[in-house]
Amino acid sequence: MNLMISLSKYLPYIFEGSLWSLGLVLGGLGIGFVIGVMFSLIQVYGSSPLRRLISLYVWFFRGTPLIVQLFLFHWSIFPALGIKSTPLITSITVLGLRSGAYQSQIFRGAIGSIEEKQMLAAKAIGMNDWDAISSIVLPQALRIALPQISNEYSIILKDSAICFILGVMELMTRAKYTAIATGIALIPYLMAGLIYIGLTYIGTKLFDLLYLKMRIPGSVEG
Amino acid sequence: MSFWEEFLSKLSFGTLITLQLLTVTIPLSVILGILIGILRVYGGRIGKTLANLYVYIFRGFPLLVTLMIMFFGLADIGIRLTPYWAAALAIIICSSAYQSEYVKMSILSIDEGQSLAAKSLGMKRSTEIFYIILPQALRVALPGIGNEIIYMILYSSLAYIVGVNEIFSAAISVNSIWFKPTEVFLVTALIYLAMTTMASYGLKKLEHRLWIPGFETRRKS
Amino acid sequence: MSGETVLRVKDLYKRYGDRIVLKGVSFEIRKAEVKAIMGPSGTGKTTLLKCIDMLVKPDSGRIWLEDLELTDPRIDIGEARKKIGFVFQEFNLFHHLTAIKNVMIGLTKVKKLPKDEARTIAERALLKVHIERELWDKYPAQLSGGQKQRVAIARALAMEPMIMLYDEPTSALDPQLTGEVLEVIKELAEDGMTSLIVTHEVGFASEIADEIMIMMDGKIIERGDPRKVIHNPRREETRRFFSKILKIGDESR
Repeated sequence: MNLMISLSKYLPYIFEGSLWSLGLVLGGLGIGFVIGVMFSLIQVYGSSPLRRLISLYVWFFRGTPLIVQLFLFHWSIFPALGIKSTPLITSITVLGLRSGAYQSQIFRGAIGSIEEKQMLAAKAIGMNDWDAISSIVLPQALRIALPQISNEYSIILKDSAICFILGVMELMTRAKYTAIATGIALIPYLMAGLIYIGLTYIGTKLFDLLYLKMRIPGSVEG
Repeated sequence: MSFWEEFLSKLSFGTLITLQLLTVTIPLSVILGILIGILRVYGGRIGKTLANLYVYIFRGFPLLVTLMIMFFGLADIGIRLTPYWAAALAIIICSSAYQSEYVKMSILSIDEGQSLAAKSLGMKRSTEIFYIILPQALRVALPGIGNEIIYMILYSSLAYIVGVNEIFSAAISVNSIWFKPTEVFLVTALIYLAMTTMASYGLKKLEHRLWIPGFETRRKS
Repeated sequence: MSGETVLRVKDLYKRYGDRIVLKGVSFEIRKAEVKAIMGPSGTGKTTLLKCIDMLVKPDSGRIWLEDLELTDPRIDIGEARKKIGFVFQEFNLFHHLTAIKNVMIGLTKVKKLPKDEARTIAERALLKVHIERELWDKYPAQLSGGQKQRVAIARALAMEPMIMLYDEPTSALDPQLTGEVLEVIKELAEDGMTSLIVTHEVGFASEIADEIMIMMDGKIIERGDPRKVIHNPRREETRRFFSKILKIGDESR
């Protein structure tokens, strides 16, 4: 009984971690989106040395563990660049860079699925390349990619737990401190797990709503 | 010992442990994933509900949460796992939940006619599933399962957190003595890159070997 | 007509939701007899065939294969299905198996025959449907539609069924490929294979069937000698049906 009382005192403390976790996710997803769109365009339309550079980037970020990337950036790359980073900034940056690699592949696929015919049609009515890409191809590609971006959200949410390794005060870190303080591990971690499930649920529902709003009547995508 | 001597010897030991961990977890998670996938399609009401619940929970939990529960949480109720087995179990449980998703989708993608034809020959349900449906479904699921195997290589690094002496833990321990993060984490990253690159090459080969004429068009449709 | 009854269907009913697909269908087929079922699409012909193989469970009515009641829930339906050959409209060859393995798998996995024995039987069945040796190791995707359907017939045939059920065996085929499949079905029938055929090929049906049954709206509305049913039907609906498909047939040839 005492345990329950002391655990319940920590409940708001753990819950507050959701905000930090969501901060990590939204930051990472946002940075990843910008990188993903830019890089996918380069991969479709760019020159071949640039394309190769992006492939290298994607290969690195998809082929190494997040935990290694976090340490590499926090202890080596940022200091070498003279940036004084905090765990939070490192985490958001690395989540973003990493998600950018994944999102660039999502967008590349989406652009590839519509590019040829739509581009041709756009040019046929006299658009230049940039107008065609920005006002015809991209808006459609973003819609097509949305379900996968929603999936990326739930992946990055779970990945954000790994940022506890740098001591960011997100859900996992707080669950760990609670476990240490109360001497009980099972319940705090279970609670953290359930909160992750809740956040995944809410997030994907919001993406579903967004998808419905953005859907073009009559299109069969997704 | 110089930095490089110590680093490389610890790292190669860590690599062995990681590889050992993967040789246990990859086959077990694939097999479990297939079984759960089958259960989610053919399991009847109870089987389906239980399997779906399993997947909902362990796909919903970050692997790290499952790992902490395996190692620290279960100890609360008297189940004490070694770091190695806590990590192995967490990885197997988490990954099989994802694998089962690919397996389920691929089974559902096999057209109804295959099952009808199997039945019309007098096949029992189990014969139909194992000789007709699965050989096709697993080919469809292979790219997804392959992706999941790559993820397992990456996320095996989390075993460090409960004290398994795998690659990343070797890196941390060397770095804490010598503090050469650039060399340490760059080389560590390269080892993971080598492993994931080789694995995806091997998986491509396997996909190629298992390729059957006409199957790729069916997958797209 | 002689010989004992192979298949007996009595008063079969089947509904999907509030649509009644079969409304009391009854008929018999004797050994070596060939019967054709014709009628407009969506009148329950395929459902009837699937009910006979218990691939679809009828709501009421009974079916016997010789003395075995298929509609008896206590029987091992797998055992019964072994004795009924089913040929599907869309072939339904197993995509992951070569032609010969498609024929063998029922023998090895259902009849539990040893591999070499199964292979011998499969080879014989394939030759019977004129699938030559060079096609045996091809996958379904590498075969033409007519070849696929003949392999599918061989697959059913190899099980040594007491009766063959053909569900519009040529309607998924290009017109130039239907001939080779119909020829095989005809040869088998002439060899004494008891057959029940759902088809739209009027000429074919009149040539090989001992009896044509006209199905409309879930019922058999007319049956009898092919020439009489086609050229001199008793019912107005039957006459309309044939005049329609004969006209379409004329246009497409």
